[in-house]
Amino acid sequence: MSFLAPGFFFASLVAAAAIVALHFIVTRQPRAGVLPTARFVPDTRATTVAPARRPSDLLLMVLRVLLVLAAGAGLAKPVLTPRRGAAARVILVDVSRSARDSTAMRDSVIAIYRVGDAVVAFDSSARVLAGNLSDTLRALRPTSRRGNLSAALITALRAGSRLRDRADSLELVIVSPFAREELDAATDDIRKLWPGKARLVRVGSSIPTTASGEPRIEWPASSRPRFAVQRGVRDTVGGVMADEAVVVAAFDRQWSFAPDSVRGGEVVARWVDGEPAAIEKPEGDGCVRSVAVPVTGVGDLAIRNDFLRFVSALSRACSSETAVIPAALDAITKLEGKGGLAPREAFRPLSDGHSALAPWLFALALAAAIAELFVRRRRKDATRIDGARSAAREARAA
Amino acid sequence: MATGVVEMHDEYAILLDAVRGIRWPARSSVRGGIPGAHTSRLRGISAEFTEYRPYRQGDDTRRIDWKLFARSDRAYIRLSNDRAILPTMIVLDASASMAFPVATRGKWTVAAQLGVALGAVARNSGDPVGLVIAGEEPQLLAPRMRRSVTHDIIRAVSAARPSGSAPISPSVSIAAQYAGRLVIVTDLLGDAAELLTVASRLVAAGREVHVVHVIAGEEIDPPRDAAMVFDPESPQLRRALTGDTRDAYVAAYGAWRDHIAHDFAEAGVSYTTVVVGKETPDHLIRRITVARGAAATA
Repeated sequence: MSFLAPGFFFASLVAAAAIVALHFIVTRQPRAGVLPTARFVPDTRATTVAPARRPSDLLLMVLRVLLVLAAGAGLAKPVLTPRRGAAARVILVDVSRSARDSTAMRDSVIAIYRVGDAVVAFDSSARVLAGNLSDTLRALRPTSRRGNLSAALITALRAGSRLRDRADSLELVIVSPFAREELDAATDDIRKLWPGKARLVRVGSSIPTTASGEPRIEWPASSRPRFAVQRGVRDTVGGVMADEAVVVAAFDRQWSFAPDSVRGGEVVARWVDGEPAAIEKPEGDGCVRSVAVPVTGVGDLAIRNDFLRFVSALSRACSSETAVIPAALDAITKLEGKGGLAPREAFRPLSDGHSALAPWLFALALAAAIAELFVRRRRKDATRIDGARSAAREARAA
Repeated sequence: MATGVVEMHDEYAILLDAVRGIRWPARSSVRGGIPGAHTSRLRGISAEFTEYRPYRQGDDTRRIDWKLFARSDRAYIRLSNDRAILPTMIVLDASASMAFPVATRGKWTVAAQLGVALGAVARNSGDPVGLVIAGEEPQLLAPRMRRSVTHDIIRAVSAARPSGSAPISPSVSIAAQYAGRLVIVTDLLGDAAELLTVASRLVAAGREVHVVHVIAGEEIDPPRDAAMVFDPESPQLRRALTGDTRDAYVAAYGAWRDHIAHDFAEAGVSYTTVVVGKETPDHLIRRITVARGAAATA
């Protein structure tokens, strides 16, 4: 067993020791005696503090120590550490639209997977697969979303932290077609956070097979663009962008794309405030792009270079084709990295790790607290009764 | 039980033997009345001649000294000092504080011995003697001159058990109705202020008042072990007697004793301090019976 936050447990040990020490220090009244002239004795404190050979109120002391230790152990989040193996793998499985050959992808993952490995499926987001992984892996299907390796790598780092107690070394395995669109500017930096080399397993076809699938661009001059709806209030926006192309101009915005209209498609251009300005939806072998960017004949907007670049970005091939464009070789080399397996010490233990024992320990602490309350109250009543009896006895004796 | 009573009576018999020859004269002239052993304020016809006084109309002709009349041809009345008895009441404080120390009840034992012995001394002087035991249930023995009064006193004090916290001053007031001499044997831990008031009033009225202050040695010099002490007359009064508080206690109790002795002496009361176990009873009796004016202390 180990603790995720051992400081709490050590603090509770100190507190428990202090409680035990306090129970060895007792306050007691000196022996009672009759003195008719007691009125001439100054009225001072009637108890003395003295060390005792045996602890006072043994049951109370046990309950208090139990309370403190249970609460401290609960806060320390104890986890039952499994037996550590030599190596474990964190497998990133690409289920984005780039991974078209799902059978190859599943077979590759199943071949690599060993019990105790962590599997991260990713498209635009990444998630650690849990439960019966053999069934889950067989059910993996590509989605229509664009892959994002950066998100997958971050999730892999967290999975590595979870696996650090189970293996001495961790291996990163990426099963993906490694399309260009899956890498972004942060991918390289995030990859460096994983110490050691990654095993890259390329699956699926990342080479365009046909040249079919030309985009059809619908850009009405004044009528409602396809999939768009009339805006409640017309407004003016100062710019629009598509990929790297940015156009700064005053646009009279009349149409908007509702969130439902984007479903199953992809936003290819956005206004500067983040609203979709153009969307793409698959259609047959190709795709259709609906553009809601008004272009007026007044001014030089139509002949400006930035606008031409914007038009060019809107005219690129459909996403179904760009999804399979392979990443550059140097990018893949950087992704693979250098060195051996990552040592477990390179991963920080999770501070927000879940401890199955903690709730039980808190329950135990609560029960001890309630029991302590009752025992203390009973002791107090008993002491009061004894005191009254003693006083009555002394009075009778006098 | 009977054996105990016999032993107790034997103990008193020794005491009575020890005080047999002691006389207890009044501190001043007593009122006239039944002829007794004390000098009376009245001039009478006893055999103890004092002076002659010319005959005045109304005098009893039987008191004329005829021999002197024959020689001087003038009528004189023969005067002599009258003597009277002095009824004595002994008031014993039987509150719980008198049963101290708890093991020996030394204060009460001394008080009882003083009561019996003073009663016997007064009785031997020809005075009627009575007793009041001021406890939870006060007992009164009216003054009697008969011989058995000493035994009555012994029986009464032997049966009494100090308890409670009854004030003593009401008992003193009752006793004062019967006697010209009052002996109050007490530890003064009850209603000392009221007792002083009553005693002052009685002294002003011509009574002879003796206060015998009974103190236990443990009260003057309590044990040095730390203890939680309580007053038997008010058990809720509990104080910690430790090394620190003991010195303050000794000083405070000593100052109080000095103060109370001064007050009683100033009021004209014969004040005597008796420390349990320090003197034999007959010595105590001699000290009390010769007390004059200022307070006699141990």
